[in-house]
Amino acid sequence: MEGTPAICAESARSPILQLGGVWHSYGAVTVLHNISLHVERGEFLTLLGPSGSGKSTLLRIIAGLENPQKVAMMLLDGMDITWAPANERNVSTVFQHFALFPHMSVGENVEYSLKLRRIPAPERRRRAESMLSLVRLTGKYDRRIYQLSGGERQRVALARSLVMGPDILLLDEPLGALDERLRLDMQRELIELRRATGVTFILVTHSQEEAVSMSDRIALMRAGTIEQLGSPNDLFSRPQTEFAARFMGFENVMHGILRAKRGDLAEVDVGGATLLGRMVSKSAAMNPGDRVFAAIRAEHVEVDCQRTGNSVTAVRGDPIYKGRYYDIPFSTQLGTLIARFGELPVNLACKTNITFSPERCVVGVLGPEGIH
Amino acid sequence: MSVIVLDKDAAVSHLQRRPRVSLERGAIILVTALWVLGALMPILALFVISVLRAKGLSFDFSLTLQAYRDVLVDFRLEIILRTLRVVAVVTLIEFLLGYPFAIWLAKGIRSGLAKSIILVLLVVPFFLSPAARTIVWRSILGNDGLINNLLLSVGLVDTPVSWLLFSEFAVHLGLIGPYFPSMVWPIFISVSLIDDELIKASRDLGATGLQTLWYVVTPLAVPGIVAGFLFTAIPMLGDNVASTLLGGGRVALIAESFDDLIRAMNFTGAAALGAILVVAVIATALIIRWVLVHLDRNNGHRLKVMSS
Ligand SMILES: Nc1ncnc2c1ncn2[C@@H]1O[C@H](COP(=O)(O)OP(=O)(O)OP(=O)(O)O)[C@@H](O)[C@H]1O
Ligand SMILES: [Mg+2]
Repeated sequence: MEGTPAICAESARSPILQLGGVWHSYGAVTVLHNISLHVERGEFLTLLGPSGSGKSTLLRIIAGLENPQKVAMMLLDGMDITWAPANERNVSTVFQHFALFPHMSVGENVEYSLKLRRIPAPERRRRAESMLSLVRLTGKYDRRIYQLSGGERQRVALARSLVMGPDILLLDEPLGALDERLRLDMQRELIELRRATGVTFILVTHSQEEAVSMSDRIALMRAGTIEQLGSPNDLFSRPQTEFAARFMGFENVMHGILRAKRGDLAEVDVGGATLLGRMVSKSAAMNPGDRVFAAIRAEHVEVDCQRTGNSVTAVRGDPIYKGRYYDIPFSTQLGTLIARFGELPVNLACKTNITFSPERCVVGVLGPEGIH
Repeated sequence: MSVIVLDKDAAVSHLQRRPRVSLERGAIILVTALWVLGALMPILALFVISVLRAKGLSFDFSLTLQAYRDVLVDFRLEIILRTLRVVAVVTLIEFLLGYPFAIWLAKGIRSGLAKSIILVLLVVPFFLSPAARTIVWRSILGNDGLINNLLLSVGLVDTPVSWLLFSEFAVHLGLIGPYFPSMVWPIFISVSLIDDELIKASRDLGATGLQTLWYVVTPLAVPGIVAGFLFTAIPMLGDNVASTLLGGGRVALIAESFDDLIRAMNFTGAAALGAILVVAVIATALIIRWVLVHLDRNNGHRLKVMSS
């Protein structure tokens, strides 16, 4: 693969990071199972997953702060970094609690990596000041760390990591320590910062909203494996597995048997009722008789008398107030389905029909863990 | 008048918290009083007695610097300087040995059990009598001691090496052991308090181990290092065990002078010597602090924060 000139010419376009066959365990517990991942130059990739799924571990391995047990390939910008210590890898981490040096001023924190590289003081200062203005901290050069708010500390940490011009910026739940409002502001700022610097970002989060609104691609992690890798829209509207559907916020997930395939629609038997859904797993992988899941978002479930699409009689439960909307559970033949309303519907009968479109309902094969 | 009114207002508005506040205030007053009585008074008395004129076993209440003149004779100046030198050298050796050890103990050991065991081992020697653990050196360093026997049997020397025992070398060696924990403990504590993420961040930003040690760990450990120097050097100034047992009369340190003066019932002299020592200790502490503060401009901020 290495030898041919054609490939060499292509190398500028090659992925910035190539991971292959990464295994890691703490004692007897394997936390990463054979992870393979290619990250493109300048992309914003998010590692999304529940607590304990191995996101931080994978990030630490990329940073070199942890040595993986076994690894088949680890290339940064085409160079083998399998055995390179953290300080020799041109990647930089923004830690969850920022890890700013408390005995240094804001400016000294930002300059730290330049000082280590023996860059002369005036040049250092110039670059630090320009980085600080990029993260909107102009004039805070001489501040002490304890004089900063959480959001400002966050920006200092970003400036400190970006000033060294890393190939990849690694962010471990950088917004976790911030309040709701600040988090939304910082989401936007991170996107802009990535655009302004052109640096590849790999961000860890367990919030699907954060992942969907910021990333170019999302790697959904589950118990040390990558469950699904794709664009935010892929994951948001076409989750391939029951786990992905649940994690991406599908409130209604049903189990059933695949009866028949019609184009890319599937006919699924759920508790004796039949529903139509769109197949998300490769249709070749699905055969009539297979155990499948069907998932529909609450906002796509409607109360409708016109019996279009999937329709089922339902008994209304008590509405749950969620601030911007109400969730109402309905008991149906398909199980309890939750429907979402912006305002409480008036005159909603106790017994009614609820409908949802087959286009919005995703159907995929159940993994072994979904079959009891 | 207005003061009294203010007091009343405060008393009314803090009615519910009054018992707690007065309890805290009481505790502070009590501790301060005990400190003045127990620590400051004796030192003050030391200075007062040192300028009185001795009259038999009692004092004549007229001021004089006679005691200082009596004490500061040539050989005692020599003893004071030697003591300061020995203490400075041994304290420095303790730091060079203790600092890496404390860092290893705080950040290098993963297993909590191993850490506890080592910490306990560090204090075990305190349960032995200082004389007992010091005299052991005699059987190691003496003319027919362990080392000389070894050297003779290997054939490295023909006659026993005599400077091993009853020498400054022996006194230095005898002082290192007992004061090692005093140096290690405070540094261990302040290094333990450094967040692991800071060390990781430093490495991540490109620092080698030594650079992290210099730019991150050491500045943050300054309070512990200062405490380590003080806890080691000050008690060592008053140590008479090592010099008596291993110096063989040739390496007199200042603690022995106190014994001599008190035995001769020269109390004003002992007080004068004590006063000189207190001044020397305070001066040393200030010098150590000054050096550490100016070692790195950044450290100053930290110290200021710590002491404010
Ligand atoms: N230093 C360690 N020693 C032992 N086990 C560890 C260590 N670090 C992590 N683990 C375990 O490895 C697994 C993965 O941890 P990791 O921190 O990568 O999860 P995560 O996906 O980042 O979770 P979170 O969202 O809670 O941060 C967890 O089960 C955790 O308990
Ligand atoms: Mg984590």
